[in-house]
Amino acid sequence: MRKIDKKVADSYFKTRTTLIMIYLAIGFVVSYGCVLFAEPLSNITFNGFPLHYYMGAQGAVLTFIILLFVNAVVSDRVDRKYGIDEARNESIGSGKTVDH
Amino acid sequence: MDTQFLVSLAFILGTFGLYIGIAIYNQAKATSDFYVAGRGVPPIYNGMAIGADWMSAASFIGMAGTVMIMGYDGLGYIMGWTGGYLLLTFLMAPQLRKYGRYTVPEFIGDRYGSSTARLIAAGATIIISFTYSIGQMSGSGVVIGRLLEVDYRIGTIIGACLIAFYAALGGMKGITWTQVAQYIVLIVAYLVPVIFMSLQLTNNPAPWLSYGTVIEEMRALDREFGISEYVVPFTEGTKWQFLALMFTLMAGTAGLPHVIVRFYTVSTMKAARWSGAWALLFIGLLYLSAPAYAAFSRFILMSQVAGSPIDQLPAWTTSWVDTGMLQVADTDGDGILQWQELQIANDIVVMATPEIANLGVFVIGLMAAGAMAAALSTAGGLMIAISAALSHDIYFRSINPNASDKKRLAVGRWSIVIASLAAGLIALNPPGAITQIVAWAFALASGSFFPALLLGVWWKRSNAQGVIAGMLVGLSVTLGYIFAAKYGGFTILGIIDTGAGVFGATAAILANVIVSLATKPPSKKIQEEVIDLRYPEQMTYRDGEVWIDDGNDVPPSR
Repeated sequence: MRKIDKKVADSYFKTRTTLIMIYLAIGFVVSYGCVLFAEPLSNITFNGFPLHYYMGAQGAVLTFIILLFVNAVVSDRVDRKYGIDEARNESIGSGKTVDH
Repeated sequence: MDTQFLVSLAFILGTFGLYIGIAIYNQAKATSDFYVAGRGVPPIYNGMAIGADWMSAASFIGMAGTVMIMGYDGLGYIMGWTGGYLLLTFLMAPQLRKYGRYTVPEFIGDRYGSSTARLIAAGATIIISFTYSIGQMSGSGVVIGRLLEVDYRIGTIIGACLIAFYAALGGMKGITWTQVAQYIVLIVAYLVPVIFMSLQLTNNPAPWLSYGTVIEEMRALDREFGISEYVVPFTEGTKWQFLALMFTLMAGTAGLPHVIVRFYTVSTMKAARWSGAWALLFIGLLYLSAPAYAAFSRFILMSQVAGSPIDQLPAWTTSWVDTGMLQVADTDGDGILQWQELQIANDIVVMATPEIANLGVFVIGLMAAGAMAAALSTAGGLMIAISAALSHDIYFRSINPNASDKKRLAVGRWSIVIASLAAGLIALNPPGAITQIVAWAFALASGSFFPALLLGVWWKRSNAQGVIAGMLVGLSVTLGYIFAAKYGGFTILGIIDTGAGVFGATAAILANVIVSLATKPPSKKIQEEVIDLRYPEQMTYRDGEVWIDDGNDVPPSR
């Protein structure tokens, strides 16, 4: 156990939180945004679909899935950059939980 | 007894045997096995288990039909029920995993330092999960009843006994591995018919790519029949209702205790993030296919059934007309069945596909096994959530904290048996439309758990008084709006009862914030624990400093 600079820990939290806000904003635009502007989008056709319908039936869901995988991969990179070792996490995680 | 009956029976019995075998093999021996599967489930399998837990009989049988009947407006369900995983995985699941408890009410009780909050949360868990499980029980009853050609009430009892048996025996550990098998059964059963249908209609084996052309042809048919077009938005309700429904489903997803607890079964925060990603991929396979089912079925009904002479309808229509799910009546007496003279029940879309596409007895049997898997897996997860709230949050934490491991397992098992049978009994005479009750469960979850967990993780100033006020206000506003909209005809911006969660969640967040600020901040220990959730397991926050555990020396004493 060693102490690390609070600034380092804060920048870890800030990086993760900023990324999450970006992902949530993208998720918001492809779902709520496309519903709000459904009428103008319906004039555009994509692969046989009017665009508003495509976004509701496929586009939004595909974006959600991609965002979740991007988050998982990028978060692992951020963890590595800050020297976090998943094997240590695992043993700490199982020791710290309350099993009562 | 015809071939179809024997084949279906073989599929059902074969899969039941598999589930029970898995539950016996993975029998829970310790309390942590029973509640959180020993916390060692790998993310990809946890993703499948979440998928099976999540996709209920209603998703499997009813969703495609909802999209077909509501057109664009039905897509709110598709986006809402998938988008919730963004909120869950980004904002809550990893942090709740780091906090490391057995149940969601336990997190709320310990984070806010209040037994009252834990008991309210336990009560809300029981109410939400119990209403939800009634739908699953009656769903399994319908499928078993249709298959074994017995009354659906007998089917419901068979389903309830089966769930009681394997959930009580295996606990969370047994349920998890059973759900992995159930996910595989249900997704294969869902995809096979729609792929064949796509091949027959468009010569393309990928329905997700091919149904755009079908939609294009349907738009022309809609204009020819002079009916409102399938893809035109907001024909069933206002734009605000669409948005409110979508929000309610998303926030409700992120607040359903039986889904959140699945994230407790993995080993780390990282594993929780990956579980969320795998889960949505597995869930997405079904949700992306449902609108394809809807488009193909509507196209076949429009092109092969509507417009034909009433005495020359395709052969497969007869059996569905007999069950009352398809109603044809030549009201204007011209001998031709017009589109307007057709009445279609939601459930027909998925269940009739094998017959429409002429796929034979094996696919029909597989479909039945898939629908059963969807109903059983969701009910199993719900029963674990109810049992954990009763036996852990109420019995162990408040009534008998000295209970032995053995005694607690026994209480957990018996509460599963009692809850399953009680839900089964109510499902014999379900109170009103099941889909409605399920929608209310989501509204209640988004008005109670979603705000409590969101603020609990992200705002350290939130305290016990705040969360108690928030949950009570959220539940009252949600229930009040549901009743006002449903029975009093009161609506805001055209938002009906199914969108009530948007008001409940807003009111709960406001109440939590205002009451927290007006009362004393939580203890320093609680605030430190909340800050600690910002970092991975290896980092610990203490007294304004962050420590990293590199495994080299003993931790400094406090």
